[in-house]
Amino acid sequence: MKERRLSRGRALRHSRLQLALAVAAIAAAVSLPVVLISVGGGVSAHELANLQSAGSQIVVSTSGLHSIAQSHTLAQQILRIGSVTAASPILSVAIDAFNATGSVDPVLAEGVIPAEFLPTVSPVERALFPSPLPLGEPTDLVHFDNGTYGGPANYSVIISTPYAQHANLTVGDRILLAPSPNPALGVEYNITGVFGVPPTVIGPTGAFAVMLPLSDLQVLTGYGPAATSPVPDGSDTIQVSVTGAAATHPAALQNVVDAIQQLVPKYSVSTLSQQVQQLEAASGVLTGFYVALSSVGLTIGLLFLALVLLRRVESDRRSIGIRRAIGLPGRMIASEILRAGLAISVAGALIGILVGWAVVEGLATWATSTVQEAAQLAIFSPVVLTEIALGVAGLSLLAGALAARSALRLEIGEALR
Amino acid sequence: MNGPEYRVPSVELAGVTRTYLEGTAEEVHALRGIDLTIGSGEFVSVEGPSGCGKTTLLNLLGLLDAPTAGEIRWDGRSVGALTDRARARLRLEGVGFIFQRFYLLPTLTARENVELPMRALRVPRADRVERARELLREVGLTERERSYPHQLSGGEEQRVAVARALANRPGLLLADEPTGELDSGNTRAILDLLVRVREARKATLILVSHNPEVAARAGRHLTMRDGAVARDLREA
Repeated sequence: MKERRLSRGRALRHSRLQLALAVAAIAAAVSLPVVLISVGGGVSAHELANLQSAGSQIVVSTSGLHSIAQSHTLAQQILRIGSVTAASPILSVAIDAFNATGSVDPVLAEGVIPAEFLPTVSPVERALFPSPLPLGEPTDLVHFDNGTYGGPANYSVIISTPYAQHANLTVGDRILLAPSPNPALGVEYNITGVFGVPPTVIGPTGAFAVMLPLSDLQVLTGYGPAATSPVPDGSDTIQVSVTGAAATHPAALQNVVDAIQQLVPKYSVSTLSQQVQQLEAASGVLTGFYVALSSVGLTIGLLFLALVLLRRVESDRRSIGIRRAIGLPGRMIASEILRAGLAISVAGALIGILVGWAVVEGLATWATSTVQEAAQLAIFSPVVLTEIALGVAGLSLLAGALAARSALRLEIGEALR
Repeated sequence: MNGPEYRVPSVELAGVTRTYLEGTAEEVHALRGIDLTIGSGEFVSVEGPSGCGKTTLLNLLGLLDAPTAGEIRWDGRSVGALTDRARARLRLEGVGFIFQRFYLLPTLTARENVELPMRALRVPRADRVERARELLREVGLTERERSYPHQLSGGEEQRVAVARALANRPGLLLADEPTGELDSGNTRAILDLLVRVREARKATLILVSHNPEVAARAGRHLTMRDGAVARDLREA
């Protein structure tokens, strides 16, 4: 008798260990989607909010290496369309910046027409820039009024705050900008101002940026000395802002889009709402990817749960046999097994959500910069968390049903032996 | 707690055969064409050597198993071919099992073990608690209702098992070696208890035992050999 009790005690401890492992497996499986979906959703929502506050309602763009040819001329044509208040060609190129210490940093250079750029951005973004932009030149429009650019450049540049802090640069310093890491190809610029950047998930290194007149950037990026060769009139984007009915009515805005598209049938002309939709679609695809990735973990967790429940049926076969011998209905025995599976999965889901939350908080506090900033944007949506928990609970019923079926198939006489 | 609440069936076996692993090389003929009638309220002992088919007979009588051939009738009504669910219902309402190893559920207290069959019949909680306490008092375990099986002695466990078997007022009590793991003192006490409750309820008691002292208390003695009833002796 004593031996039987000792053996029962060991079985109980073994059973508890199995339960703990099953809860841990479910928790691990749940924490992954919690982290992925909360961080991914947060980042997407943040980028969406940035896009929605961008200000320019229409963007003319081209893909790949092909630039928008005659962008200044096109901007002038777009400006003549009704409701258009500003059209700003923009060229974005990755270049290299050498500071006084000789260290080199890759930076994103944005070439803009100073007088046209600020009216196309939102009030929120505009507040990040000095106004008017201290880029010195009368404007590129003056140069292009006479056809191709003829210089001379003013050699003024404004730099982003993260880069200024990184390179210890201030207004009045000089900086060498080059199209490649070769300082021999560089041109020296005066820093005439700094601009802020909105919080971003690409980290401070990604926010290293400079802004200079469009024509200066065209000269800098390898089309030869301005004095001796013409500069192609190109950009990769034209940001357009509108006013009046076009700013509030989709149909009126579409009329403006159509008018621009007639000017440039081969370029992409998209509205802000279209870009928002595209971003939302991309975000949806990402969420689907997260769910697919998480489902692998969840499947493993639930298979483990099914195995534990089947193992419990095996180790509890005598108890199940006793219940069935007494005459307890099958549904009562099955519901006990289903409840056990449900309890394990709900406990695992709750712990998994807590672990996921703790992981995100940990990343937001201690991770390296980019990951940390992404984690800080995480959104823990109660609806999503509830859906995850309910999904796990629902799937656990399948695992429980499998174990219940096995329990109800036990031969009573065999089970009691 | 007395007679009228108990439905006591007469049980009849007609040409009942039970073969395990039928059609295989390991085929076992546990029962071979048994014809047997047990009247309502009888106290029957089943004796015989190990492997002669006593437990198989008890399992068939208690509807834990179905015959390979032949028919089992309760009050003249065939029950051998009932569905699992219907057999479970009949067991729940009409049969009380008492096993050699007690088979209490280790995670339930003594009272909860007794309540279990009543829970399955959806007896209201207050009623089943009251009845479980009454049954535990009857078997002398009033003070042990909150104890778990591992906190009870063998004799106490078997008394809880008897109380559980009586919970739904069954008319048929089946006891498979109920004193097989008990000392002589507890054997006598459990036997007295079984005889007392059978008489109080006019229930049918069928008891498998190797112990002559136990078997001697019965009014009818079945001796089995090789899956058949070798002798059927009634006390005068």
